[in-house]
Amino acid sequence: MNQWTKRSLVMGTLLVGGVLGLSYCSNKAEQQIQQQEQGNLNASADLKTLMAARNLTEGDVEAALKTYTPTGKKDEYMIFASGGQSGQVLAIGVPSMRLLKVIGVFTPEPWQGYGYGDDTNAILAGGNQGTHKLTWADVHHPNLSETKGDYDGQYLFVNDKANARIAVVDLADFATKQIVANPLVASDHGGAFVTPNTDYVIETSQYPAPLGRDYAPLSDYKAKYRGLAMFWKFDRTKGRIDPAASFGVELPPYSQDLADAGKLVSDGWVFIGSWNTEMATGGTLQGKPAIESGASQNDMDYLHIIDWKKAEQVVAAGKTTTMKGVKVITLQTAADENVLTLVGEPKSPHGADVTPDGTAIVVGGKLDTHGTVYEFSKIKDQIAAKKFESKDEFGVPVLSFKDTIRGQVELGLGPLHTVFDDKGNAYTSIFLESKVAKWSLKDMKLIEKLSVHYNVGHILAAEGDTVSPDGKYVVAMNKMSIDRFTGVGPLYPQNFQLIDITGDKMKLLADMPIGIGEPHYSQMIKTDKLKPLKMYTPGFNPATGVKDPNAVEGGKERIERHGDVVDVYMTAVRSHFTPDQVEVNEGDTVNFHITSLEQAEDQTHGFTVDMYNVNISLEPGKHENVTIKADMPGVYPMYCTEFCSALHLEMQGFFLVKPKGAK
Amino acid sequence: MSSAPKHASDYDDVHTDAAPQAPEEHHRHLNVVKPKATPVPLWRRWLVVGLMAASVATIAASFSQPWWQFTLYAPQYPHGLHMVMGLTGVTGDVGEIDELNHYIGMTKLETVASTELHYAAWGVALVAILVFAMTLFMGRKTGKWIVAPALAFPIGFMLDCYFHLYEAGHSMDPHAAIRLPGFTPQMFGNGQIGQFMTFANPLAGFWIAVVGALLVVVATVVRQRAVCAECTQRGACGAVCVNAFVVRKEHPPTGA
Repeated sequence: MNQWTKRSLVMGTLLVGGVLGLSYCSNKAEQQIQQQEQGNLNASADLKTLMAARNLTEGDVEAALKTYTPTGKKDEYMIFASGGQSGQVLAIGVPSMRLLKVIGVFTPEPWQGYGYGDDTNAILAGGNQGTHKLTWADVHHPNLSETKGDYDGQYLFVNDKANARIAVVDLADFATKQIVANPLVASDHGGAFVTPNTDYVIETSQYPAPLGRDYAPLSDYKAKYRGLAMFWKFDRTKGRIDPAASFGVELPPYSQDLADAGKLVSDGWVFIGSWNTEMATGGTLQGKPAIESGASQNDMDYLHIIDWKKAEQVVAAGKTTTMKGVKVITLQTAADENVLTLVGEPKSPHGADVTPDGTAIVVGGKLDTHGTVYEFSKIKDQIAAKKFESKDEFGVPVLSFKDTIRGQVELGLGPLHTVFDDKGNAYTSIFLESKVAKWSLKDMKLIEKLSVHYNVGHILAAEGDTVSPDGKYVVAMNKMSIDRFTGVGPLYPQNFQLIDITGDKMKLLADMPIGIGEPHYSQMIKTDKLKPLKMYTPGFNPATGVKDPNAVEGGKERIERHGDVVDVYMTAVRSHFTPDQVEVNEGDTVNFHITSLEQAEDQTHGFTVDMYNVNISLEPGKHENVTIKADMPGVYPMYCTEFCSALHLEMQGFFLVKPKGAK
Repeated sequence: MSSAPKHASDYDDVHTDAAPQAPEEHHRHLNVVKPKATPVPLWRRWLVVGLMAASVATIAASFSQPWWQFTLYAPQYPHGLHMVMGLTGVTGDVGEIDELNHYIGMTKLETVASTELHYAAWGVALVAILVFAMTLFMGRKTGKWIVAPALAFPIGFMLDCYFHLYEAGHSMDPHAAIRLPGFTPQMFGNGQIGQFMTFANPLAGFWIAVVGALLVVVATVVRQRAVCAECTQRGACGAVCVNAFVVRKEHPPTGA
């Protein structure tokens, strides 16, 4: 071999070998992170000693092992729970029962800036019909959007009982996108239930009143007071309810209650419970019985059965009356066209829950000890054959109770709501006994009761009201906690109790105090069905669902004056706002258009102008518009309200309002 | 073989102390040079040209590949921030790294090595053309320089990369919020800058260029030892020679 070839080969080998060696040297940084994650604690502590020290039983330890979720591990399910009077919706992880988010829905939510910027204010204003700005809601029943009767993880709908509103929450960013107010009624309870493909969101009124919120004396109750089942058309491509394509069905002045949509064989039907078929209106000062007793005289009330596919045809045929812009099928038409049929249900019923296979409807009786199961095929056959037992005093056909039911199961005192597992069992909350009753739909037999703490209202199960329940968890939503938690004053937290239903016996696993309101219904979805965003594309306005026309790019920040209107095109990125000095004249209208230039996960900024009641949240990429009237002369700091970085405190600027006449 | 031959002329009559082997066996070994009387077989020249073509293709292929990766780890970046350098620019979490760098006054990544990036495609083409042209035209004595551009390609990248790392760490904005003493980010393996642990390693583009350079080295050895060394025209060979690869011009042997 020649000298040069040897040399070049040796050098080449050295070079390549050296680089190879360097590149194979291990990544210490990654190793270090892995070690941190594994933890350094050796399992040396004696378990028995720990149990004794904390006074724990083996059952407690088992429950802990089934629910404890170490850092970095994620939950298998997510609950979307009504936030009650808070007007919000809670997102809770299962089995850890950790609160993940309070989603601003009907009430301004400062952290999310919900109700503090122009566009979220517009969403909230969408629900305002009266002269009073609504700043709270009585949130009752969150319902997830469905495809073929199964949760699809895309949207959440929720009703406000106190003001007859329905909100649409997009589960891409867990943010409220729309609030629609029902112009015909003032309260709702049978909402926000969805049909199996989310064609409609159902909202049924609770307390009868003249439709359109007109005045009529109580003496005209039977003649002028009415209930309403509203079918809000959901436009999935837009992710919004389309009021123009929606319609209502006028109902008798009974107090309509919870509702559920049929599925599979019963798809196309809706079932709504009711109470106060006595039509009691109280009058305690005049010596008349209170409504609570007046409304509890009859042994039977009415389950309302609506054939919504037929209702669609009736609407298409134009057989409707338009009231305040809403197409309404009148009670007369609903009765004549067999859109509405009634069947008796035991005293003061609650809940109307369709079984996963769609063949039956389970109704609880607040003042009846039974769970009553209605056979859908019997309902359908009798209506098809027009085999009615009678008509109510409004001319609505009534089916025979005994010819319609599959049977009744003695469950206990005050059965309310029912959810289902994957093995043909039903789980009913027994309010007065503070129990969860497990019973078989097939054998119509009670299997087991489990004590919960206390006064269980709604109940939920893992995907328990879909066509395919998972049969893993049940949560009892208890109205009282009494002795369960450390005292926090006379207003006690509510109590969510997680129950394992995988074994032969139900097992109570964990309590979760709810300290924000009284939750009503909740639903539990497997988290792999959710596809939440990590950030927005730059300039995206989540409230409008498009890139904002005023979105600001880095380097194009500016202040424009148009008469007494000042437009501030601002960006936020660690750790500064651009511009950071905004000077206006007293009386100017100032529009802040702010875009976050961040594109790093979880890198959020806030923005406030002191004393002007402004606080918005700028998640990565998000755009917000905020309008303020500069009516207070002075110097007001603007600053970032989210601890974003080491120089977070320095992320500030000045909003200067020059007094009138100043030079 | 018992010992390496001293001169090609030793092979005019092949004899060894070991058991005699079939003559065709000998011809398979490159170090067994055939008698001068026979011209260099055509397939060796094609082998050299083929190897060079392969190396040129390899070098060209490295252009679009990622060359070097820098990963930064900090507690709030559990998946790391990645910056991938190549001949077409810097990719990865560029925005976020720039965002962090602005605190220490480091220049934006897109401005780094803009001249090199602008001419990178021409540079790769130049290396490829040089390698191939040199293979065709270089003489026996200058032939070894064919390896130079191929080796210079990955080595040059590393040197340039190091230069810019040094530059970036030593020319920071004096008005930045955080003032650091000058430093050079680690180019191989682990380093530390503030709360960030860094890790740097070469990627496919670099390795492809190294493979390309090795192919050139191998082809050059074959060219020198099995083609030029035996060429009947080698006596007249200068810095440039077209006899071996461009025009096949074989004269009868002139004798030892």
